[in-house]
Amino acid sequence: MINPILLVDDEEGIRKVLGISLADWGYRVLTAASGEEALDIVRKHRPPVVLTDVKMPGMDGIELLQRIKKEMPETEVIMVTGHGDLELAIRSIQFEAVDFITKPINDAALRIALQRARERIWMKEKLREYTQGLEQLVLEKSQRLIETERLAAIGQTVATLAHAIKNIIGGLNGGIFVVEKGMELGSQKYLTQGWAMVKGNVEKIKNLALDLLNYSKEREPEYRRINPNRVASDLHLLMQERARECGINLTVRLDERIKEISLDPDAIHCCLLNLLGNAFDACLDVENSGNPKEVVLSTALIEGGGVEYRVIDSGCGLSEEIKEKIFKAFFSTKGTRGTGLGLMIVQKIVLEHGGEVSVFSEKGKGATFAVRLPAGDIALCGKGRKENSVRCRTWRSPDATKGENNV
Amino acid sequence: MVKKILVVDDEQDIRVFMTTLLETSGFKPVTAKDGREGLEMARKEKPALIIMDIMMPRESGIFMYREVKKDPEMRNIPVIMVSALSKKTFFHSQKVVDEFEGVKIPEPAAYIEKPPEAEELLVTIRGILA
Repeated sequence: MINPILLVDDEEGIRKVLGISLADWGYRVLTAASGEEALDIVRKHRPPVVLTDVKMPGMDGIELLQRIKKEMPETEVIMVTGHGDLELAIRSIQFEAVDFITKPINDAALRIALQRARERIWMKEKLREYTQGLEQLVLEKSQRLIETERLAAIGQTVATLAHAIKNIIGGLNGGIFVVEKGMELGSQKYLTQGWAMVKGNVEKIKNLALDLLNYSKEREPEYRRINPNRVASDLHLLMQERARECGINLTVRLDERIKEISLDPDAIHCCLLNLLGNAFDACLDVENSGNPKEVVLSTALIEGGGVEYRVIDSGCGLSEEIKEKIFKAFFSTKGTRGTGLGLMIVQKIVLEHGGEVSVFSEKGKGATFAVRLPAGDIALCGKGRKENSVRCRTWRSPDATKGENNV
Repeated sequence: MVKKILVVDDEQDIRVFMTTLLETSGFKPVTAKDGREGLEMARKEKPALIIMDIMMPRESGIFMYREVKKDPEMRNIPVIMVSALSKKTFFHSQKVVDEFEGVKIPEPAAYIEKPPEAEELLVTIRGILA
């Protein structure tokens, strides 16, 4: 056993005698004649145990104890004093000395003190090992958990996708069957109906693929300085005709105080188009039949010069339960017509702009989606890579696939 | 006499497909878009067979099926369920609702998972109506 031990005493005689005993018991003895010298040795050699006299000129034992415990708390310190001074003993223990023995030093008492110091070192070491082991275990387990969750998410995505695709294939097969009957029997009705089914389902799969692409693509946004009102009025023009066809009253209210800000116009166009498409669908929902069909697209200047777009509809509204799910992948209230990705894309784009999307709605009382974009100068990071521009799905009226037949 | 078959499905595509299949196979199809409309049609048209989806807006196929089977005038109409829901899930849901309501509703005449194949459907329909 070559345990180093530091022996601190201002009296040379004691250092010698005690040093011999300790060396005898198998310790490698380091000595110091003062607190200051002791501290140097502790810093340099880091002995696990220090045996120090209390009464010393200059830095006394109590101060040495405090400094050691502050700098190297793992060091165990045994205090030695000439007086049976209870107060000193209590102070030493308060400052975390492992033991306190009195001069003249009794061998048995010293051995017990040394034993206690070794036990404490051993226990602390074990405790540290266990703690580290536990931390490591927690780390490994959490990593495994994250991995499992990721796999589960992928699995669910694949399952939902498979389901969506299976549905579309069902529609295509149905369409093919009807077209074939039309050809077989020379029936114009079957040909028209079947062809509409085929086209509708091809459109569905195209939208699904585009939505998936838009969502999964690591796209560099192309920021430019543009007045946000322009995006809104472009959309108004684009959607007016559709609105009229669907019997929806679409109005646009622009806040003229809005100045140019930096945004990706294609992406924001895609966002608002998605929101307007949803607003139209909500107005045309069976649950909304007989009610007025109003959709408003508005802009408003917000603090700091940013913009808040609002898409407000008088449609069927959203229940609390549905509101919680709408930004999740593959959640759709539109049955097989929805891909369940639209709002997720909206959210992704808005977050890229450093903005936020929120929804206010009550079941049966319409819905308002708000997109807030800051004026912050994100133009600097625009890379202008054309191949990455957003390809937005073509918007079609929700009844487009239903055709005129009354089946 | 041409047998009347009621098709209840919220999906336009399925209704067109079934209508074509039935018309071209010598049946007279009538259609409804959800469970509530389906029940009205079933009472009015008294079809020889009902083919229905499960997941539909307003009243679901689960509700409609139980109503049909509880109605003394309709309970003998055979029903084919056609759904994207797996057969196991449907039968399990029936068992749970049976226990809850304390009534035993008989199983449907057939259960076909979506998407339905023309040939499979026809064989099933003919088998039931024979």
